[in-house]
Amino acid sequence: MRMTTRFLISAGAAFLLATVPFVSREAFAADAPAAASTPRVLSIGGDITEILYDLGQQDKIVAVDTTSQYPADALKDKKSVGYMRALSAEGVLSVNPTLIIASDEAGPPEVVNALKSSGVRYITIEDKPTADGVSAKVRHVGNLLGADDAAQALAAKIESEFATLKAARKEIKTRKKVLFILAIQNGRATVAGAGTAADSIMQLAGADNAAVGVSGYKPVSDEQLTEFAPDAVIVMRRGESDQHKAGQALTLAGLRQSPAAKTDKLIEMDGLYLLGFGPRAPSAARDLMKSIYPEAGQAAAMP
Amino acid sequence: MTIADSKTESAVMIPSRPSRSSVFMALTALLFFMALLSLAIGPTGISLHALPRALAAYLGYTSDSAAERDRLVLIDLRLPRTLLAAFVGAALATSGAMMQGLFRNPLADPGLIGVSSGAALAAIATIVLGHGIAAPLVAPLGIYALPLAAFVGGLITTIILVAIAGRHGQLAVGTLLLAGIAVGALAGSISGFIAYASDDRELRDLTLWSMGSLSGASWQKVFAVTPFAIAIGFVIPRLTRGLNGFLLGEAEAMHLGIDTEQIKRLTIATTAAAVGAAVAVAGVIGFVGLVVPHVMRLISGPDNRIVLPGSALLGATLVMVADMIARMAVRPAELPIGVVLALIGAPVFLHLVLRRGMGGWE
Amino acid sequence: MLEARHVTVRRGPKVLVADASLSIVPGKLTAIIGPNGAGKSTLLRVMAGELRPSDGAVSLDGRDIRDIPVARLATRRSVVPQSTNLSFPFTVLEVVMLGATVPGFGIKDPEAAAAARDALAAVGLRTLENRMLHELSGGERQRVHIARALCQLHTAPRGPGETAALLLDEPTASLDLKHQDGVLTVVKEQSQSGRAVMLVIHDLNLAAAFADEVVLMADGRIVGQGTPDDVLNEDLLSHTFGCRLRIEASGDGRRLVLPEAIARRARTGAATG
Repeated sequence: MRMTTRFLISAGAAFLLATVPFVSREAFAADAPAAASTPRVLSIGGDITEILYDLGQQDKIVAVDTTSQYPADALKDKKSVGYMRALSAEGVLSVNPTLIIASDEAGPPEVVNALKSSGVRYITIEDKPTADGVSAKVRHVGNLLGADDAAQALAAKIESEFATLKAARKEIKTRKKVLFILAIQNGRATVAGAGTAADSIMQLAGADNAAVGVSGYKPVSDEQLTEFAPDAVIVMRRGESDQHKAGQALTLAGLRQSPAAKTDKLIEMDGLYLLGFGPRAPSAARDLMKSIYPEAGQAAAMP
Repeated sequence: MTIADSKTESAVMIPSRPSRSSVFMALTALLFFMALLSLAIGPTGISLHALPRALAAYLGYTSDSAAERDRLVLIDLRLPRTLLAAFVGAALATSGAMMQGLFRNPLADPGLIGVSSGAALAAIATIVLGHGIAAPLVAPLGIYALPLAAFVGGLITTIILVAIAGRHGQLAVGTLLLAGIAVGALAGSISGFIAYASDDRELRDLTLWSMGSLSGASWQKVFAVTPFAIAIGFVIPRLTRGLNGFLLGEAEAMHLGIDTEQIKRLTIATTAAAVGAAVAVAGVIGFVGLVVPHVMRLISGPDNRIVLPGSALLGATLVMVADMIARMAVRPAELPIGVVLALIGAPVFLHLVLRRGMGGWE
Repeated sequence: MLEARHVTVRRGPKVLVADASLSIVPGKLTAIIGPNGAGKSTLLRVMAGELRPSDGAVSLDGRDIRDIPVARLATRRSVVPQSTNLSFPFTVLEVVMLGATVPGFGIKDPEAAAAARDALAAVGLRTLENRMLHELSGGERQRVHIARALCQLHTAPRGPGETAALLLDEPTASLDLKHQDGVLTVVKEQSQSGRAVMLVIHDLNLAAAFADEVVLMADGRIVGQGTPDDVLNEDLLSHTFGCRLRIEASGDGRRLVLPEAIARRARTGAATG
């Protein structure tokens, strides 16, 4: 018994001793708690951040996630809460947001639940990669920040741009087939099939998705590539160093005989610009259309 | 008549082993201290002096927003996280120590019996197939799908393994080792196959899961693992002497009166359950099962009466420290804990080994 | 006390031990001799309870050892194997103390340490108690394991009248000449103090010098059993070992077994030298 008592006493002493430094000190200073009037917004999702900047609401943003790559200032000026699918509950709370506007892709689910029950306003924005979806997003976000007028103006602009695009689509006589390649690894291409943002933007640009029978982003074999026989290939540009890799696409065995290779039709576009379905979506679609149908350029001209 | 004492060639220093009780006391004190630290540290800067307020809010005495926030951070976020970190560390470290005793090899780790690979396979399958083929199974379980799948996956692989290695009534340790490697490889390749069919988002999710994280800690998870923690505490004293005897060899252990079959089965069952539970709540966390028992042996020798419980205490402490670093180093973002453990642990371990030598394992 | 009756051990198509019956008795040292592959170690393992015989049974005080719980069995007999592989850094004292680890012994560390020290003293290794086992020479390590087996028997709780058995598999195999005699003397003392001792040994002369009973095995069978004088006759040995052996009388009345070629050379050497 003596040893157990000794042990318990020392453990208890250690416990008490250990509390001393913490009871009397604020460990690490965090942001000051929010003043009632100024909203502090946490934006999770590149498209949402873009909308906020376009609506002139960027000063209200206190932090963003790592997918918020446009405008470049976002990640430069604002704190980052990390990758949107690997959030930290306490980390998010430490930036003291009064409003969290998050993509429906935010995760992990336990953290999202914790944030929802934390008393901070948490709004999920559904990501619908359609023309209507974009303007709905803009209006929703604008409404959350009390910037309905600006939002309405932006949404109207977007809708009119999409309308012009729609008209331009009607002018297309022969629709071309386009293939979107997400990544190439070990000579194998991952392409965008049905139900992806890439598929939607392609449709908006008036092209057909060459990846018939594929759903989601899937790796495909060279044989399938040969069957797809796209007229143009789209790849994402991720900075200067990627130039070399992008060029590889047309040299893939399955694409060497494709119309795209024969006409050297390789289109490189920035990932967020092309697939974000934020306010720049109509112009992204327009740029894509111009690249696919250079002759239809005039009809798609927008102010 | 006794034999004249011989003179041995090399003069070696007499090893000094600290007493068992002092080691336990030190480790327990360290654990308490780290637990408090873990509770006190976080990106919001809320510290322990907010604890009374938090408790008041928890008990319903106040609904002041500051108190509510303190309650949220201290009691809903940090406390379960600290407890879960302690459990994961203890479970992995103890399992590592048990495996090293069972296989009589200081390089054994819990992964050898295929638990981690099986859990990973089930988790990857859930992540990738959960929206497709496996949706009817996965959807109703909601956020419990992944942990449950991981746990069941780990258990199933171990059961398969035991069935293979125990075919002749007795569990053959050699067969267990080889079959474990084979089953682990098989699980790994099936995982790779499924991962190959995954899309971009699923691939990211599964990569993150494989790096481990305690950010999803919740009280439900704590309650879920409590029976396992109790089981480990229950099993350790029953295994210490048996595994000590085992270190001489299975035959010798039998000669010493140890029920080797019982020891083998108990060790494997406990490891499978403990590691399965740990992986289920925190993803794949390596390194702990291998290194913590090692360090325990460097501190206090290979006697399992210290190594087994000591590893539990030290493992819990280590994972708590790693978790603190994970959530503070890049705040308000977070690092995966598996990465942190490898980064801090590997150099420390290397230093220890180089300084004190391998302790005679040749 | 420990008796094997018609024990047969088969592994696949091979018969390792065939119809062996043998019993060891307190106060007697029984040596098992024979060429390599005769099944000596296998028989010892069966009698230790480690291996199950394919046929036949081993009984302890009349009770089948398969019915005796392992922990109980450990209070009545201890085993020194041919070699032990320990991959963890235990000290000599700790290894010997493992002998007192048996479940149910209920021994506290200080008691176990004292018993371990006595056992180490009996094999002459007291001064090495704090060395690491792996630092010792092969012979010293073997003596440590003998000490462990002695410690086990010494600390085991036994009822009144319950005797103990010590089984050793080639304990002198890696020992220096100067230690062989000493170790066997210790083992002999054990048998003289009332323990039943079974010893597998390949050195025929040592067997002759120390054993009360000799059992000769070949190809899994017992081909000779009795006092050293009975079993050590030239024809039986030569036939079993497959070479001409001579039994010479040494000066002090002891008998020596030598391969004929060596015996002849020694004689001619002595004659001309």
